[in-house]
Amino acid sequence: MNKEKSKSITWKKRTIRLILFPVLMLIVYGFLFAVLPEKAIAAFKSSGKVFLNITIPLGFVFILLVIFNLFLNPAHIVKLFGKKSGIKGIILSSTAGIISMGPVYAWYPLLRELRKKGAANYLMAIFINSRAVKPFLLPVMISYFGVRYVIVLTVVTVTGTIVAGYITGVLSGD
Amino acid sequence: MKIAVSADGPDLESEVGQRFGTSKYFIIFDKETLAFESIPNPGASSDSGSGVQAIILVVGKKVDTVLTGYCSPTAMGHLTKNGIKIVTGVDGNVYDAVKRYKESELKHIKETDHKSDSWTSENNRAAIAGAFKSSARQFVNILPTLAGVVLLIGLFNALMSKELLSLVFSGNAFFDTLWGACFGSIFAGNPVNSYVIGGELLKYGISLFAVTAVIVAWVTVGLVQMPAEISALGRKFAVVRNVVSFFMSIAVAGATVLVFNSIRW
Repeated sequence: MNKEKSKSITWKKRTIRLILFPVLMLIVYGFLFAVLPEKAIAAFKSSGKVFLNITIPLGFVFILLVIFNLFLNPAHIVKLFGKKSGIKGIILSSTAGIISMGPVYAWYPLLRELRKKGAANYLMAIFINSRAVKPFLLPVMISYFGVRYVIVLTVVTVTGTIVAGYITGVLSGD
Repeated sequence: MKIAVSADGPDLESEVGQRFGTSKYFIIFDKETLAFESIPNPGASSDSGSGVQAIILVVGKKVDTVLTGYCSPTAMGHLTKNGIKIVTGVDGNVYDAVKRYKESELKHIKETDHKSDSWTSENNRAAIAGAFKSSARQFVNILPTLAGVVLLIGLFNALMSKELLSLVFSGNAFFDTLWGACFGSIFAGNPVNSYVIGGELLKYGISLFAVTAVIVAWVTVGLVQMPAEISALGRKFAVVRNVVSFFMSIAVAGATVLVFNSIRW
């Protein structure tokens, strides 16, 4: 009986914590609508566009999650992305970050699961930071800044993300 | 459903602890996903009362089954009273022990079920359904924060303008780079926007240092999506990663422009 009661209290607390941020945002929208209605509408439309942009990557991430849950157990994850995965782990997480599509927050559920199953902090950081290199957007970047700049930026960024990932790992208690 | 295994060390390759009360660690698994956490046993070093502390830990973590080498009758009585099943005589490494236990449980289900001919396909179906269920749960957990982040991005996009941005940059390379990293950190969304804004800023005569810092920080530092990152990966990791990435974006901007200016082909 007591166990059931404490479970329902924890569930309530978790739900409140989960919806607090979006509810806060809706309140801000409400205020903005009262003061500057046209800005609020523009913001809402812009949010809608962002939401539409992330639905496809989110769907892709959901499929990946199912596959990961089905075939990858903690022992695999520790081998591929664990603290002792070495240079292979760095190359794997860096490459995965570079080719991953969509906004970073679409990847959080997957990263959270990988980490729960034993992936190292520094490799998670390398994955997130490596997303600064976007192979699919390189043509756009070249059109703005030229080939030479893009090559230099890409090489320096990849090196920088690995160093930053390592420092993040050390400071966050890997 | 949770399984706790008494262990000699914190990782999956550690041996199963042979005494419930004095094992150095408890590794607690989620039965469906096998996600785990290692918790040091507070009773490992104490001579008396070690069993009580281990019981408190296991009950507090809402464990359903305990796997261990040996458990005293007193501890077993307390655990059973709390609805926890105890399996003794377990040895080998922790991960193998949990796998063996899960398999034997499935086997038990098979034995009690007389329609055992389609067991393999039933087992596969159960595994797929389980994977869908836990993926959906992981998704639902992150969706409300994600919705908040999307609303916040919409606000930023509507309230900020390119003109407003170009007002802030003064022409000093150092401060402009710092501002660039700050702006890149605040804004989020498709990086293609950072290229467009970067291109516009260059036209206004803003230095390449600042523009590079905007582009790198745009993706690597995310103040707007920070709540989502904290809820997914923990406060410490999210804060450290963003702070380190902020300084990295400044360093990358400096190195890129210096190399870019010194190489000619």
